[in-house]
Amino acid sequence: MELLIKNGAVYDPKNGIKGDKTDISIKDGKIVDKVSSKASVIDAGGRLVMPGGVDAHSHIAGAKVNVGRIMRPEDTRSGLKPRTKITRPYTGYTVPNVYAMGYRYAQMGYTTVFEAAQAIMKARHTHEELEEIPIIDKGALTLFGSNWPTMDFVREKNMDKLAAYVAWGLLASRGFGVKVVNPGGGEMWGFGKNVTGLDDVVPNFDVTPRDIIVSLMKVNEMLGLPHSVHLHCNNTGKPGDYKTTLASMELAKQVRPSKDRQVLHVTHLTFNAMGGTNWGDFESKADEIANFLNNSENVTTDMGQLIFGSATTMTADGPLQYANAKLTHGKWGNGDVELEDASGVVPMYYARQVSVFSIMWAIGLELALLTKDPYKVLLTTDHPNGGPFVNYPEVIALLMSNKKRQEEIKTLHEAVHKRTKIPGIERELDFNDIAIMTRAGSAKVLGLLDTKGHLGAGADADIAIYDIQPDQIDPSVEHAKVKSAFSSAAYTIKGGEIVVKDGQIVATPMGRTFWVDASVPDQHTDIMMKDIRLKFKNYYSINLANYMVQDAYVTHPNVVKAGVISVEVS
Amino acid sequence: MQTVTLKPKKEIKISVEAENISPDKFAGKTEKDIQSIEIWMGNRRTTIGELFSVKVEGSAPAADTKLVLEGDFSRVKRIGEGMSGGLMIIKGNVDMHVGAKMSGGKITVTGNADSWAGREMKGGELIIEGNAGYYLGAGYRGETCGMRGGKIMVMGNALDFVGEHMCGGEILVKGNAGILPGLSNNGGKIVIEGNTSRPGSEMAKGTIIVNGTVDEMMPVFKLEGTEAVEGVAYRKYTGDVIISGKGVLYVK
Amino acid sequence: MAVITDALCPFCGCTCDDLTIVTEGNKIIEAKHACKLGAAKIMGHHRIKAPMMRTDKNGNFKEVSYEEAINETAKILVNSKRPLLYGWASALCEVHKKGILLAEEVGGIIDNTASVCHGPSTLAVHEKGLPTSTLGQVKNRADVVVFWGSNPVQAHPRHMGRYSVFAKGFFSDKGRRGRKIIVADVRKTETANIADEYIQVQQGSDYLVISALRAILSGHADVVPDAVGGVPKEQLVKLVDTLKAAKFGAVFFGMGLTQSQGRYKNIDNAISLIFELNSFTKYVIMPMRGHYNVTGFGQVCSWETGFATAVDFARGVPYYNPGETAANDLLLRKEADAAMIIAGDAGAHFPANSVRHLAKIPVVQIDPYWNPTTEVANVVIPTAICGIEVEGTAYRMDGVSLRYRKMIEPTHPTDMEVLDRITERVREIKGD
Repeated sequence: MELLIKNGAVYDPKNGIKGDKTDISIKDGKIVDKVSSKASVIDAGGRLVMPGGVDAHSHIAGAKVNVGRIMRPEDTRSGLKPRTKITRPYTGYTVPNVYAMGYRYAQMGYTTVFEAAQAIMKARHTHEELEEIPIIDKGALTLFGSNWPTMDFVREKNMDKLAAYVAWGLLASRGFGVKVVNPGGGEMWGFGKNVTGLDDVVPNFDVTPRDIIVSLMKVNEMLGLPHSVHLHCNNTGKPGDYKTTLASMELAKQVRPSKDRQVLHVTHLTFNAMGGTNWGDFESKADEIANFLNNSENVTTDMGQLIFGSATTMTADGPLQYANAKLTHGKWGNGDVELEDASGVVPMYYARQVSVFSIMWAIGLELALLTKDPYKVLLTTDHPNGGPFVNYPEVIALLMSNKKRQEEIKTLHEAVHKRTKIPGIERELDFNDIAIMTRAGSAKVLGLLDTKGHLGAGADADIAIYDIQPDQIDPSVEHAKVKSAFSSAAYTIKGGEIVVKDGQIVATPMGRTFWVDASVPDQHTDIMMKDIRLKFKNYYSINLANYMVQDAYVTHPNVVKAGVISVEVS
Repeated sequence: MQTVTLKPKKEIKISVEAENISPDKFAGKTEKDIQSIEIWMGNRRTTIGELFSVKVEGSAPAADTKLVLEGDFSRVKRIGEGMSGGLMIIKGNVDMHVGAKMSGGKITVTGNADSWAGREMKGGELIIEGNAGYYLGAGYRGETCGMRGGKIMVMGNALDFVGEHMCGGEILVKGNAGILPGLSNNGGKIVIEGNTSRPGSEMAKGTIIVNGTVDEMMPVFKLEGTEAVEGVAYRKYTGDVIISGKGVLYVK
Repeated sequence: MAVITDALCPFCGCTCDDLTIVTEGNKIIEAKHACKLGAAKIMGHHRIKAPMMRTDKNGNFKEVSYEEAINETAKILVNSKRPLLYGWASALCEVHKKGILLAEEVGGIIDNTASVCHGPSTLAVHEKGLPTSTLGQVKNRADVVVFWGSNPVQAHPRHMGRYSVFAKGFFSDKGRRGRKIIVADVRKTETANIADEYIQVQQGSDYLVISALRAILSGHADVVPDAVGGVPKEQLVKLVDTLKAAKFGAVFFGMGLTQSQGRYKNIDNAISLIFELNSFTKYVIMPMRGHYNVTGFGQVCSWETGFATAVDFARGVPYYNPGETAANDLLLRKEADAAMIIAGDAGAHFPANSVRHLAKIPVVQIDPYWNPTTEVANVVIPTAICGIEVEGTAYRMDGVSLRYRKMIEPTHPTDMEVLDRITERVREIKGD
């Protein structure tokens, strides 16, 4: 099966192509140098062509997401679309059903999405949902930050055991990378308590969040995992949390990356660049975070942009969610997982005229606009925490147009003028920057830039064509056109197959699930497993033999090999 | 003035979903237009003309359109959903969700209305001359607001959860109401002439007046003394104290 | 003789995963570690041998081929304007997925047995959320455990030993001795007999009692009368003190709470109590789910459709509103004009008027076992037993998903195969 895309205005940052008319050849699901004359042809007619979108942080599958659905029938009843001969019904806005999840990403030109958190014990559930999400490639990051074995091995300072545990945990969960959420706090939330900073000692385990983060970064690099440690900081969502964020970012200096990428990805910065001491004197400290990023090479971030309207917050940060539920006086879902982590789900409504929300809206944008290198700030909404992913086109338009930002600012609480820098920031990103923040950058951060996020030979043939001509449009002025084009791809091509045409789903192939198989010396695994067996004998409520995700739950795997032992890749 | 009269052609056993029966949808339309309007019976897509005889007199905008529904509509749901103006008289019983999300105009049901009558109503008037089912003037599952405005009057009785999550508007039940009326009331006014039980649980704002007997009081109200409302003496309670509620409950 | 270790029990929502199954030939001869209820199911009989059909429900069944029975089922479903697809609790998640697709294809209503047991819990979750945890959190941490309207001694025999009352864990190495057990119920159950404290609640008064506890907890004992729902105020005040003194408390509620006056509002109120207790210390709450995979249906249905159960596909988009779209809502209104009952027994558990309506409409039963639903069926399709003869996924009462092992080879086609063939036939008839 061959396909040729002609006359596209191609943005492919990895290969240095910035809007040049470049033909793209596709054969058997991959991008190749040349195709035969038998190839079918798409004439892009000067329209914008980018690699398929890559989302490195979104909550698309698993226990939390489903709790959100069960809690929110009022959300599910929005965004309804009946079944067709090709598609199953769509439901929901902040917590869509599995089908809408895949279709809507594809309709925006996205082809790869990573679920940002799964507990190992609930990973089977995550994969059950991933298996039902159509079209896109996906994967899930596994929580390690409050696991009892993690804390035991950190306390013992035994990095070999910790590495063996991480490798085994990724296998057990069919996970793609190491997620750390409020390290240590997940355990403490088991008794309704929390850590307050990097140096608090977790009772009974005698380790600090600092120890946990640094140790996991070390073993992450020992194992040479494709992605770095992916951190949701301690104190997230509290006024003044930017200090903890900066202190956490500093930790990255202690570890050298094993690959051409960061050693620490700090996520959803909208919730982590908060100044002030309470919600009354709350202010943006995005400038300080951006300043750090501009002077550092080891840390990347993503925006977690706030979108006005309805959201459903969901995170393994259980204490944060209880605090949120107390603020909203609304529904509260909590889902602590034995020996592993906490979690919480709370619906939220971000109203424009509320000072805190106006300031949070500014934080994500400030961060993206004040940080010079777009590879360091990925475009996300931390779906559905900041808002649903279907709003990415809105975020793109805001980043590309100061005019649009100024129009928005007029509708917000006046605090946005006094407590943020956004009104005075004139920078407007271009299509190349956007392609980095939504494609090349995310793929690089994930460690997948060899096959994802670019259009060079050897890449997966995941491509989006948007109905705008970059040389004929001024995004600063015509931001509405930009938003509309990114909302509804003219074509989305996934693995060489046309899945979206004129914004409509035309085919629903099954994507792959990426997970990492990291090898460690057998003796390390043997020693580590002695501890694990004891944990199951005494503390887990299920047997070890029933713990691991079985092959039956990953029917289209894409296994990425890693490990401390060099492995022959076939 | 436009008057549209609908009559079922035959007995309806499987529910018809009739959000398309409202003055807004019929205004200015001819018999033929109305007959061809889509309507669902169970899983079959059909038309108003297939199920009902349609008679139209005159032509007018919604505000001056009157619908007369004659015959058995007890298996026809969502009549008048979202209606913004005009009049509707349902001569007999009607199924669930009558007047849901209506924002204006007036609906009179001469018989009984099944559950969720006036669900999420924003304005206008809904009069039920018979009895009402469960969740009169309440919200949809999981929603934080039920009725936000307008008036509902029930001449007969209503079942449980009258005005659940009400955020505004008024409900008057002349007969008795089932348990937990005004649950999570957040600013609406509910008057129950007859008896009820457990009124005002989790009430944050609004007013509930019970003229009959309260079978069981919620143990969440502070007695403030007696107070006269329109010349009638009541025991006045405030609560729900658990949520520091500012709701007022008057019990005779 | 073969031995299967770490096998899962397909009976109740505890989904115990430590069974040892001994088989000989293709027969299970022993289910070690299983409780009586579990063992009875695993060793059970009363299988339906072959597909059967009859036109007159008072007449006798005639054995037919699977082909005929499946064809007839497809015809019944396609001809129906309001088909109900009910049951699912004793089937694996893989079956649920196929059932939801079939419901979509025929524009039907799909509902599960939670409708008549823990369905109300879901309605409460819509109102208040669900502060919960996995059962291991309770095992390792709980020092106060409350059973409200639930009676594990009878209904979930191994719950207490594995997860709650007697279980020993990291912070709870004393097991039972380190725990305070409280039972609130209308009658002194077997579980109440082993509790440290028993709260006798007047029939139908749970809601009032929970509100009184909440009022006391929030510092408003002054508004609480001398007795609420038959419980003296002093006892309520003492109970609040006990609850607050916990380091980790867990509340397990059962059908005594979901099916008594107020129904889901009782759960709604209990969830609020848990919310408020968390301002003082740690608390979680959990329904004591009955069938082993009733939780799984709610999970699958939620990710597939966005709604947990009672989903109406009549118009091609999911619509959900229990009270309107649940199985009994439809049957009591005599609205369903055909029903497919699978892996659940409507005949035994529905109100008489619902069963009477079932007796008047075409009914298909898909089940390994002969049960009261068979008596009202026109078409009966026997299948392999999920969790014993078929491997696959189920969700424990706390939402932990587990993979069931196959213990013996099936003697009948699986539910998945049967549903696939029905769906295929439905598409052929509809010309899709």
